[in-house]
Amino acid sequence: MNVTITEEGSRASVRLEGRLDTTNADQFMKDITPLMDGNHTEIDMDCTDMEYTSSQGLRMFLMLQKNVSSRGAKLVLRNMKPHVKEVFDITGFSHIITIL
Amino acid sequence: MAYGRKSISNRLSRYVLLISAGLFVVVTMLLGFLTRRIIERVSEAVAAKDLELAVSEVEKVITEVERAVDNVDWFVERNSHSQPFMKEATRELVTANPNIIGSAVAYEPDYFPGKRWVAYYTFIDARTKEINTIPMGNPDYDYPMLDWYRVPRLYDKPMWSEPYFDEGAGSQRMATYSKPLRDTSGTFFGVITSDISLEWLAGRIRDIAPDAASYAVLVSANGTYIAHPDSSKVLNQTVFDVTAAMGDSTALAMARDMVAGNRGSGRFNAGSDDDSYAAYGPLSNGWSVLLVRSYAAAFIYLYEFNLFLGLFIVLGLIGMYLGCRRVIRRQTMPLVEFSQAAMTIAKGNFKATIPAVKSKDELLTLHDSLVYMQKSINEYIAELKTTTASNERYESELNIARKIQMGMLPQNYPQLDNCSLQAMVQPAKEVGGDLYDFLVADDALYFMVGDVSGKGVPAALFMAIARAAFRFIGPLGLPMAEVMSRVNNCLCDGNKNEMFVTIFAGRLDLKTGRMSYCNAGHNPILVSPPDGASYYLRAEANLAAGLFPDYPYKGEELLLSPGTRLVLYTDGVTEAEQRDHSQFGENRLKEWADGLNHAVSPGSATIDLYSRVKNFTRGADQNDDITIMTIQFGKENKK
Repeated sequence: MNVTITEEGSRASVRLEGRLDTTNADQFMKDITPLMDGNHTEIDMDCTDMEYTSSQGLRMFLMLQKNVSSRGAKLVLRNMKPHVKEVFDITGFSHIITIL
Repeated sequence: MAYGRKSISNRLSRYVLLISAGLFVVVTMLLGFLTRRIIERVSEAVAAKDLELAVSEVEKVITEVERAVDNVDWFVERNSHSQPFMKEATRELVTANPNIIGSAVAYEPDYFPGKRWVAYYTFIDARTKEINTIPMGNPDYDYPMLDWYRVPRLYDKPMWSEPYFDEGAGSQRMATYSKPLRDTSGTFFGVITSDISLEWLAGRIRDIAPDAASYAVLVSANGTYIAHPDSSKVLNQTVFDVTAAMGDSTALAMARDMVAGNRGSGRFNAGSDDDSYAAYGPLSNGWSVLLVRSYAAAFIYLYEFNLFLGLFIVLGLIGMYLGCRRVIRRQTMPLVEFSQAAMTIAKGNFKATIPAVKSKDELLTLHDSLVYMQKSINEYIAELKTTTASNERYESELNIARKIQMGMLPQNYPQLDNCSLQAMVQPAKEVGGDLYDFLVADDALYFMVGDVSGKGVPAALFMAIARAAFRFIGPLGLPMAEVMSRVNNCLCDGNKNEMFVTIFAGRLDLKTGRMSYCNAGHNPILVSPPDGASYYLRAEANLAAGLFPDYPYKGEELLLSPGTRLVLYTDGVTEAEQRDHSQFGENRLKEWADGLNHAVSPGSATIDLYSRVKNFTRGADQNDDITIMTIQFGKENKK
């Protein structure tokens, strides 16, 4: 899973590439930690090249969402592939995370 | 350990030997060249010196002969008419001068009227050594016509003859000094002569040459050999004959220069392998002395010297090789011991003693490295033992956890009239996060399948809580949405790790076939009616449990016709992957369900699906727990 973060002021554009599974979930957590330090009011994640997420990966998105919500910031996931979006839908995560 | 020729000491010694031998060869060649030059110079100097000696020696003889004649001719000229006096004068010359072997006074024809030959010759008999005086001159020996008489008379001055072989009284090779005589009236009346023996002169010259390397030669005014080590050349050959035969233009030029009465020296080649050196100088009577010194002969000493030098070098090299080998072997002995110690360590004896080192050099560094390595290995082994022990303990604890977890899942299936079911969990790791549960109460079957996010002990504990909550809350008779809400609140309480669990929970009324259910973020279950195609139960997508307290879960209902089969599963089934990440997927699952005869029991169906999934992944690592629960409703289809 490659995570590329581009910062423009208080806005962070994030590009996700590859698979997010049990083997690299911890690394993904480390990669997105900078997004949880409270500096960004808007986080925009481009999921065009995200191939897969496991339930462990969902947890990471949830933690990020809770962090973002607690300080009144915004998190948006975009361009998700249908089979990935399905995981978010099935688990009900679509209800708590904004997916465009 | 025997390395033989390949040991370091042997190899280094050979290198030293090769390098030294190379150096010696270069030095020896240089030395040989220089020595050659020096010997050549010395040879030339010796030749020059020998030449001077020979010149002065011969000059002395010539001068003595000339002086002796000069001493007597004054009296002879005053007594020109006294024949007895002449006889006496010749005897006097021969007896008084050891250099003179013969002497004569010869009168001019008709000095005594009517007499053509009046001459007296005194000589030392070569055999008897007696001094005889005889008259000379007869028709066979008409001396006025001979050179020794004729030439001085013609030139009117004392002269030395060319060397000749005297067939008369002397019977040997000689040269003659002739001086014209004039009486008191000034009239020429004859000549007085003195002979010297060329054999004797040759002997004198031979004595001058110091060694076999050189020889002296005496040549006459026209180049004829007067004295030469090869006596056959004397009188028979000239220097021009010899030098022309050599084919060396330098030699010929020097011969000309010498006969012209000059002094000189030079190098020439006499036709053999080595060059010779010639030095020549004139004598006062027109003769010349030539000294020839062969370089090659002098080089004999050089060859001897080189032979000794070579022998010395070879012995020295052998000694050096043996010495080097011994020293290097002694110096590198610790290396051998080190390698043995290292081998002992490598074979597993980690406590092997490493030999001590006294010197403070690379060997000490090696020793320290080995000691450090040994220490590190021992520490590492100790650490490894501890780690292994704790790993073993950890693994055995995990196994226990797995047993506990599996033990929590119900294994005893209820014997029901119109319903049967079978479930299985295959964890990806030793302890997984999947769960299932079922129980029968009030003519109803309560069942659930869940998937906890993550794996391992935390997931298993979270799963235990979920299962306990369901088992307690489920049979209370509440609507399934309410059951899920309460389970959710139980899980949210104290869930700081943001763990969650997706749950499909249902209650099947065993009399009516009415199923009420609630899906908290779980995969849609597969419904296979007895009279139609299978379909996924796309239920209300509630949020997974454990995340937000008091989340409003929504429940739904479905009426099952008898013979309907339900397949509950976790994403370990649909997301089972081959090595290229292609997934089993919902479509394959549906195809499997459609292709399965309804007469197949839930137990066989569960196992069949599991083996279908395993066949699909073809031995790729299982990366998620696989849970399958199959429920068949309907008495008539029960087996």
